[in-house]
Amino acid sequence: MEFVNPEGLRLDGRRPMEMRQLRAEIGVVSKADGSAVFEMGNTKVIAAVYGPREVQNRSQQSNDQALVRCEYSMANFSTGDRMRKPKGDRRSTEISMVIRQTMEACILTHLMPRSQIDIFVQVLQADGGTRSACINAATLALADAGIPMTDIVTSCSAGFLNGTPLLDLNYVEDSAGGPDVTVGILPKLDKVTLLQMDSKLQMETFETVMQLATEGCKAVASYIREVLLENTKQLESRRGV
Amino acid sequence: MRGLQLSLDKGQKLRFERAFEVLESLSSKANSDASVIVADDISVNNEDAILKGHGTAEMNDRLVATLCGVVERVNKLVYVRPLRARYKPEIGDIIIGRVIEVAPKRWKLEINFSQDAVLMLSSMNLPDGIQRRRTAVDELNMRSIFEENGVICAEVRGFQHDGCLHLQARSQKYGKLKRGQLLTIPPYLVKKRKQHFHHLDQYGIDLILGCNGFVWVGEHVDVRDDMVEDLSDKSEKQKVKSWNTLGDEEVEAYTPPDTRQNICRSANAVRVLSTLGFTITVEIITEIVELSKSMDLEVHEMLGAEFYVIVAENEAERRSLPTKRR
Amino acid sequence: MLQSKSFVKKTKQGKVLKVVREHYLRDDIYCGAPFCKVCDVAAARLDSNASTIIIVDTNVVLHQIDLLENPAVDNVVVLSIVLEEVKNKNLAVYNRLRALCSNTLRRFFVFSNEYHKDTYVKIEPGESPNDRNDRAIRVATQWYQHHIGAAARVLLVTNDRDNKRKAIEGGIPAETVESYAKSLGQPALLDLIVQAPAEDVTMEDAEDLRPSKRKTIYAEHKPMSEITSGMHRGIYHQGKLRVNRYNPFEAYVGSESIGDEIIIYGRTNMNRAFDGDIVAVELLPQDCWKEEKSLAIANDEDDEDDDVHLAPSSADDAPRVSHPSQISIGNKSDMPTRPSGRVIGIIKRNWHTYCGSLEPMPMPAGDGGIAHALFVSKDRRVPKIRIQTRQLGNLLDKRIIVAVDSWDRLSRYPSGHYVRTIGEIGDRDTESEVVLIENDIDARPFSSQVLACLPPLPWSVSAEDIANPIRQDLRHIRVFSVDPPGCRDIDDALHCTFLPSGHFEVGVHIADVTNFLHSGTPLDDEASQRGTSVYLVERRIDMLPKPLTEDICSLRADVERLTFSVIWEMTPEAEIISTRYTKAIVKSCAALSYVEAQARMDDSRMADPLTTDLRNLNKLAKIMRQKRIERGALTLASAEVKFQIDTETHDPLDIGMYQIREANQMIEEFMLAANISVAKKILEHFPPTSLLRRHPTPTNDMLEPLIQTAASVGLSLDVTSSKALADSLDRAVGDDPFFNKLIRILATRCMSQAVYFCSGDLSPPEFYHYGLAAPVYTHFTSPIRRYADVIVHRLLAASLGICRLPDIFQDRPRLTGIADNLNYRHRNAQMASRGSVELHTLIYFRKRPTYTEARILKIRANGFIVFVPKYGIEGPVYLTSRGQKGGGEWIIDEQQQKIKKTNGEVSYGVLQPVRIHMEVVESQPNRPKLELTLVC
Repeated sequence: MEFVNPEGLRLDGRRPMEMRQLRAEIGVVSKADGSAVFEMGNTKVIAAVYGPREVQNRSQQSNDQALVRCEYSMANFSTGDRMRKPKGDRRSTEISMVIRQTMEACILTHLMPRSQIDIFVQVLQADGGTRSACINAATLALADAGIPMTDIVTSCSAGFLNGTPLLDLNYVEDSAGGPDVTVGILPKLDKVTLLQMDSKLQMETFETVMQLATEGCKAVASYIREVLLENTKQLESRRGV
Repeated sequence: MRGLQLSLDKGQKLRFERAFEVLESLSSKANSDASVIVADDISVNNEDAILKGHGTAEMNDRLVATLCGVVERVNKLVYVRPLRARYKPEIGDIIIGRVIEVAPKRWKLEINFSQDAVLMLSSMNLPDGIQRRRTAVDELNMRSIFEENGVICAEVRGFQHDGCLHLQARSQKYGKLKRGQLLTIPPYLVKKRKQHFHHLDQYGIDLILGCNGFVWVGEHVDVRDDMVEDLSDKSEKQKVKSWNTLGDEEVEAYTPPDTRQNICRSANAVRVLSTLGFTITVEIITEIVELSKSMDLEVHEMLGAEFYVIVAENEAERRSLPTKRR
Repeated sequence: MLQSKSFVKKTKQGKVLKVVREHYLRDDIYCGAPFCKVCDVAAARLDSNASTIIIVDTNVVLHQIDLLENPAVDNVVVLSIVLEEVKNKNLAVYNRLRALCSNTLRRFFVFSNEYHKDTYVKIEPGESPNDRNDRAIRVATQWYQHHIGAAARVLLVTNDRDNKRKAIEGGIPAETVESYAKSLGQPALLDLIVQAPAEDVTMEDAEDLRPSKRKTIYAEHKPMSEITSGMHRGIYHQGKLRVNRYNPFEAYVGSESIGDEIIIYGRTNMNRAFDGDIVAVELLPQDCWKEEKSLAIANDEDDEDDDVHLAPSSADDAPRVSHPSQISIGNKSDMPTRPSGRVIGIIKRNWHTYCGSLEPMPMPAGDGGIAHALFVSKDRRVPKIRIQTRQLGNLLDKRIIVAVDSWDRLSRYPSGHYVRTIGEIGDRDTESEVVLIENDIDARPFSSQVLACLPPLPWSVSAEDIANPIRQDLRHIRVFSVDPPGCRDIDDALHCTFLPSGHFEVGVHIADVTNFLHSGTPLDDEASQRGTSVYLVERRIDMLPKPLTEDICSLRADVERLTFSVIWEMTPEAEIISTRYTKAIVKSCAALSYVEAQARMDDSRMADPLTTDLRNLNKLAKIMRQKRIERGALTLASAEVKFQIDTETHDPLDIGMYQIREANQMIEEFMLAANISVAKKILEHFPPTSLLRRHPTPTNDMLEPLIQTAASVGLSLDVTSSKALADSLDRAVGDDPFFNKLIRILATRCMSQAVYFCSGDLSPPEFYHYGLAAPVYTHFTSPIRRYADVIVHRLLAASLGICRLPDIFQDRPRLTGIADNLNYRHRNAQMASRGSVELHTLIYFRKRPTYTEARILKIRANGFIVFVPKYGIEGPVYLTSRGQKGGGEWIIDEQQQKIKKTNGEVSYGVLQPVRIHMEVVESQPNRPKLELTLVC
């Protein structure tokens, strides 16, 4: 199938290096300590953070750092065919773990000993790149919850189809079976905290694809920072002196 | 807008925006660019004379924020004051908590901190106010003092060696709260002041603004045990009836409708303010309550869209008056 | 820059699905006119002083692509909506349009109107998708009009009346294709225009000439919905229609739902389906199932008859020999077993262009006007095509290319239009080109990008190559090659050293093509497209450019060359002790021809080291061959012929059977051994992604004709296994020396061809190579002329850790696609070679009527089919004139396969020799034909 036409446009009209439209909203779950909705095009993810709070399972309590937990799920209505999604299937367990590990890398867990942080992410609309959107939403929610972090984590995916590196694959491109590289970075530190790829790719190609994904992460980061700063300023200005 | 799930009509939206613009312009005058987010650099002038405070970290020889919030500088100390975050206890803070668990010789309380707080049986005055050794009988009767889910007012005693946060309630003003509403708001909206207990005489209610973001609005307890006075005169021995044994509770169960209305009005005022993200002080609460009364609004109407807009406009107007101090 | 608009569409995939896709509208899509002041002109494709910019609609592209391909039409803007619609409707046309748009010589520009913020059109409630697309085209045209302004005229070309009317109402200039073509002032262009089917435009002038034909000839095609539901209920069957190459009135539809082939007799039942179409078929009631006629000429119409052609070399190109079955005439109650059916609908057309000539016809009065002519394709599977032309006089004696446009129920023949002329009929160059075109062979010179990938010339082994640790220096070893005389592309060489241990070291050295042909380069893409070199009688069409083929890779004598070598240690009993694979440098000491090599071995006086090596190799080869035959390998034979070509005129001077010598077999034996060793090695390392070659075991059905023919001469063959078959073939020794070879030739043509495949697509038992009795086999030894070998070289190199496996091997569907393409190209190359030989046979006999001996292959109702071993051709000998039933003075017994003269003087049976006369006759002008007649 042709994913990039000779005019250099993708199926949805983007160019190979373009990301989908981003949208973020902070504070969407009133009961949670921090929450956010993050959209990448038609992919929409909601994240809620609870904690740091008392550890529920005493045996997991650690005296020198916080326990981070994550639960990923997909809403039944998130895909075209409304299917009952079993909870805790292999895929969501895996993604939960991926998100947890990625977020753990930036949370200053030692500042919050004997406590636990729960991150819940749910995919409301799935159109490819859910993993990245989940991580971005979780970052926002954590920042909103006032949990100390070394840096924000941002994530973006990139693929390689028709011999062209493509940024931010949507569902159609994602299901083309080509390589799909999901990268998560700490933009300030310029470190990679997540790198996933399910297929094989030539080393040189991989590097360009990864470079592209990293550029995407940086773009996401600047957007997220904008949103966070705007939010912080707003909170401060409302609160008054 | 965050947390605000109201259906506004066009005019209301416009007024809302205008009010917030005013607020924004006011604050940007006051502290320009003090807001930081995670991983933002904090500019420091003379590097060696710095004490890194909360919410900061050193990274590649630069000071960066680890939280979203406002940079505060106190002499050498530089720290980030977080906005939305859980409560950070400081010794002496007056807080309100909810009993989660009754454990041997202690209660565990949820106080919006990263852990549950501990209130030892030994760190509280018993209802009879007698300073004495706690006996095994007292231990067995702990539930008669505080039960699970009970709401309690206490003071932060500090971190013990075991890493737990301990509370104390060694005063008659602390203790079980009843016949009222508990509201939870983000802690950053509660300003730390000398006075956190307020008796709003005109409404016959008590208002406790817990430092941890828990706000209690309840019926004023008996005049004899006036808490406000209690605070000023600690030595005065009071027998607080309401903390008495179970049998009394039924007798005292009745609250006049007027008071109930006032409790609800005040509680709604707190709700409106916290939703709008305005600082919550007793003055503003009373102001809002008065406003609602003057507008002849029913209690439930206070949560309607229109009232939100009016409160926002009111706040904008109030803050723009330079002379008025809260 | 991004503006998002979501739209909802519903697709039906068993259940209704709601699909939401994003659709970004942009403002950075440019108009493509170089004189535009607003747009970025870097990618502009239109002419800088274009007076008219044409915008075409979908139907114009679909039907008039031949016109668009004509260089007279230029400055065309192709809208993305048009491209999309064309893609959905006809992929072939889409590819041609794409080729036009990317051709730098043509001024075609693709305007992505669907993604432009000003030209995107939302579907309106109640509007059909077609109307919406038409509107989008008009909106885009209007945008162009405003955008370009006075700089150029914008013209919408559409044949849709409604669209044209609406356009003109909206102030957009619009014209039909005809009026546009007329305005160009080149009458020849009008021939390229496709006439709309009769329903739309008045075709009365075409039809009223033959009022009798205005009756319905074919049944109506069922609507698609009915076909789908019919297939669900199991009354219709879907499959690809394949027309019998030797009898165009018989076709087969392989149906999965039935698990058998459905036979379709006659054009009426075929109901306008072409070869390769995907059709829906309805089974006829069983009593209508015809018993197959054994008569080759089962005409219910007038035309074709059997031609003399080259003897087929495998079942794939052999005629579907109908088995005149054992059923005697007596028990007619026996129902025929093969289902027959009729086409009730066509699911997907396989129309493309066809090569052929016009049927001779008198020139109509008034030259220059529109004339109707019938086109006869070279490919006999294609029916005659009716075309309109204004240049009849020009075309009558030409080979031309014609495209099919439509076939309505009222006309006997499909209608089409002229595309281009190749040249004069009978001209050797023209006919050679026809052979190439027919077989889809790209004989164009290599492009400059491809040539840029070649190493600089003159090339020689460099110091780096010698120093390269992966490359073993074997220059001191006595390496030589044995090939056909005059061979320039020498891709294999051998050596044989006697080791002190009493063993032999035997090396097969193959040109290291992959050292020059790197994956992903234009050169590699081109080679993988071509797939194989094509050998015609008078020329060779190379897979790789000449410098590589004849110099850099060719293992010529006395030059140092890079190789990829397989080196065995063998006992004198030809047991392989060890196998080693390495890249190497060799210096061939002699490039022998088969004749030379044979002469050296046979000449007992010669005892030089080279001859000793040859003899040793030959000894080993014989043992290996014996072992192979014991394993069950078949010794097959084919009737290959060899031409001697006049170097000046390129006309054939002599023709003869290709002689196979011991030397040929010796080389073949080592190549087989190398291929098998390599196949094992790569399969071991890359079980899912190896490219192998398999030869399917023939089914009993396929061997049936062989068994019958053998039976009719009183020979019983055991076909239970390849071993059994090989043994019974060995036993089949008749009274004359040629008998055995003849049986082997017959056996060969019962087998299907060996094919390439990707090892991940099949299970190991299916890897079996029947003919060679090898569990795995591949092609490794001819990388200069076969792309499969290039792939295998890469796999072998990767398995040795010499280099990394290219990405393509991770993509199994692509690998399968490559294997399919290789099979297709391989087959086409063979067909082209055969076509070329047939052509030259005809040229040869044009001047030389000959008497020769032939063998009867099969006896038919009005004659018999003979095989002429000397020239490798086969064809019919008619004993009766056409149309006449019965045998005249001959008594023909089809069941017993016997012919007797009425007076009992002479009788013939199958495989018996007969004398025949061969002569080229020209029964119709410009249609020479080889005719065989019996000489008593």
